Amino acid sequence: MKRSLIAAGAVTAALALALSGCAGTSSSASDGSSGGKTTLRVSVWNYKQTPEFKALFTAFEKANPNITIQPVDILAANYEDKVTTMLAGGDTTDIITVKNLTDFGGYAQKKQFVSVNDVAKSLPDDKIPALDDYKSDGTYYAVPYRQDFNVLFYNKTMFKDAGIADPENLTWDEFAADAKKLTKGTGADKVYGAYIHTWNSMVQGFAAAQQNKNYDKPSYSWMKDQYNLTLDLQKDGTIMNWATANSQQTSYQTMFETQKAAMVPMGTWLIAPLLADAKAGTTNVDWGIAPTPQIASGDKVTTMGGPTGFGINKNSKHVDAAKKFLKFAAGPDGAKAVASIGIVPAYHSTAITDEYFGLDGMPQDALSKKAFNPDVIRPDGPTGPNAAAIGNVLNQEHQLIMTGSKSVDAGISEMESRVKSEVLNQ
Amino acid sequence: MTTITERRDSAAPPSGAPARRTASRRMRRRSILVGWSFILPNFLGFALFTLIPVIAAFVLAFMHWDAYNPPTWAGFSNFVRLFGDDNFHVALSNTLLFALGHVPLTLAISLGLALLLNQKLRGIAFFRVAIFFPYITSLVAIAIVWNMLFDPTSGPINQFLHLIGIANPPGWTASTAWSLPAVIITAVWRDMGYYMVLFLAGLQAIPQEYYEAASVDGAGRWRQFWNVTLPSLRPTTFLVLVLLSVSSFKVFDLIFVMTQGGPGRATLVLSQLIYQDGIINGQFGYSSAISLVLFVIVLIVTVFQFRIQQRRER
Repeated sequence: MKRSLIAAGAVTAALALALSGCAGTSSSASDGSSGGKTTLRVSVWNYKQTPEFKALFTAFEKANPNITIQPVDILAANYEDKVTTMLAGGDTTDIITVKNLTDFGGYAQKKQFVSVNDVAKSLPDDKIPALDDYKSDGTYYAVPYRQDFNVLFYNKTMFKDAGIADPENLTWDEFAADAKKLTKGTGADKVYGAYIHTWNSMVQGFAAAQQNKNYDKPSYSWMKDQYNLTLDLQKDGTIMNWATANSQQTSYQTMFETQKAAMVPMGTWLIAPLLADAKAGTTNVDWGIAPTPQIASGDKVTTMGGPTGFGINKNSKHVDAAKKFLKFAAGPDGAKAVASIGIVPAYHSTAITDEYFGLDGMPQDALSKKAFNPDVIRPDGPTGPNAAAIGNVLNQEHQLIMTGSKSVDAGISEMESRVKSEVLNQ
Repeated sequence: MTTITERRDSAAPPSGAPARRTASRRMRRRSILVGWSFILPNFLGFALFTLIPVIAAFVLAFMHWDAYNPPTWAGFSNFVRLFGDDNFHVALSNTLLFALGHVPLTLAISLGLALLLNQKLRGIAFFRVAIFFPYITSLVAIAIVWNMLFDPTSGPINQFLHLIGIANPPGWTASTAWSLPAVIITAVWRDMGYYMVLFLAGLQAIPQEYYEAASVDGAGRWRQFWNVTLPSLRPTTFLVLVLLSVSSFKVFDLIFVMTQGGPGRATLVLSQLIYQDGIINGQFGYSSAISLVLFVIVLIVTVFQFRIQQRRER
């Protein structure tokens, strides 16, 4: 009996192998075109809660009636992992939405995307500053449709009540001084002068962008001042303790909307939910945006940000149609579609900005309009092929510095030695 | 397949008429087919989702693979890298420390609870359910709630510790020294109900006569526990120990939601390192090598436990 069991097992295993071998090819069976109509499949996250996708797709289908777009909806939290698994399995989804530059580094390194040099050349690159972020070894592998960057969200009422001038042209030191003045109350009534979110980019990213530093070179002493400033604010209770924010999974949106923090440096992605919540009546915060505080005083505004874009899967069967979509999304028509729902497009023009500020509930003051046009936007994290691995080390050491487990100096030198040994020397 | 039946035939006794022989052969073949059909659905799933990936991981451990391009042969270089990798050392020691804390604590507490709740009392079922409840609660919910309880400044745990006069309570998940204990406490709380049920089943299988005989001999409660309860529970204890050790070494979900391995690398365990190096950093060969090492560790621990159990039974 035992022997026959083994034989049965072997037969089944062979069968299973054959079956699993089939599974890989069956997904490519449907080529998606019928009767002159092409169907493009685009990977997206949280389709229902992320209205920019529908806005883009509808506008594109209207302009190209012979192409239909079919979203491949993926849970936002698992987006990167799921796309990696899909692509590794030979999936033929035509267009992959690139969530950030860290992911882009991975896709480009693995040569997973088709070159889109022709699309990039046909676009007005002076109006799309983020276009060059998608260049890897001289080749464009994606194009941006959305360009978020950090601004300073501030509570106008609190500034007025405290008798403080609006945060125009702030340096980080002035930001800290204002934040200290705006902090009041204790316990449940505590109002923080500012809220610095738990991400490592909220300290390291500003320092890197404003000093034009690159993470690939493992020498990070340039982070020191920004850490000292943030830790100082944390020590005297001007900002929420990192450990508390982390263990309670504090939401920056809630902190700002419920008026628990007077200033929140955050990406422009916060604008759309603020508009929506004000419309729904769940918040009555009177807000404005100001340029991100700078290291040195001056008129030039440098901030960090990152594009969101589209790349074409090398397994796609509809590269030409996909290129049409990329051109549409990155150009003025795509920009108009996303701007109409409060998303900052990658394509800049006065017409688009006017349309954006014409949205219901948008602040109309000059400072907010100034904040919307920063002079320089640099990446908000590591880029290139080692981006994910370097980002991991930087984040772990960030936690140790912010929880006081390590001094700033010890944390920074640990980042340097770990990036050297774990990433660059592998 | 023919070889099997032939062999079976040669093994069968030579007596009996040819007609009877073919009939019995047909019967046997049928029963084999029936047997296969019973096993097949389960085995197919097992093969597809467990066996083949496990075998693939064994092979991949000796390769470099980014999941997109064809794998290249790496020989033992992944293993050589492993021994010099600081992340691996940290994850290995964290995993061992987690198991060292989690296994004995869960074992002792779930046994204690089982003894406490193995009584004929009114409403005892309610308490049993209450203690089992964490085990069927969503793990993500548990991790998030315990994270809030452990909050160093405004969390109820530290506020209570303040109240009873501890001036400097631990930083729990925000401190490198206390985050592993915090995770262990949460894991014990979650798992104790499940193992308590196993112990309860074991306790109720012990014949009442043993206790009667022991008390006739003048044994007190303590003596009864040591000389009757514990020895009779040995098979259950062994089962619990093996299950607990394996689950401790493989711990991933709870830590991933609660601390993501942080702060820093204070709660980074092997399973998470496998995930991080494989799925996130795209080094599937290297992460397979780590998982191979984890497999060997779990195998050694389990074999060791079986050996001890066999020696005891002898």
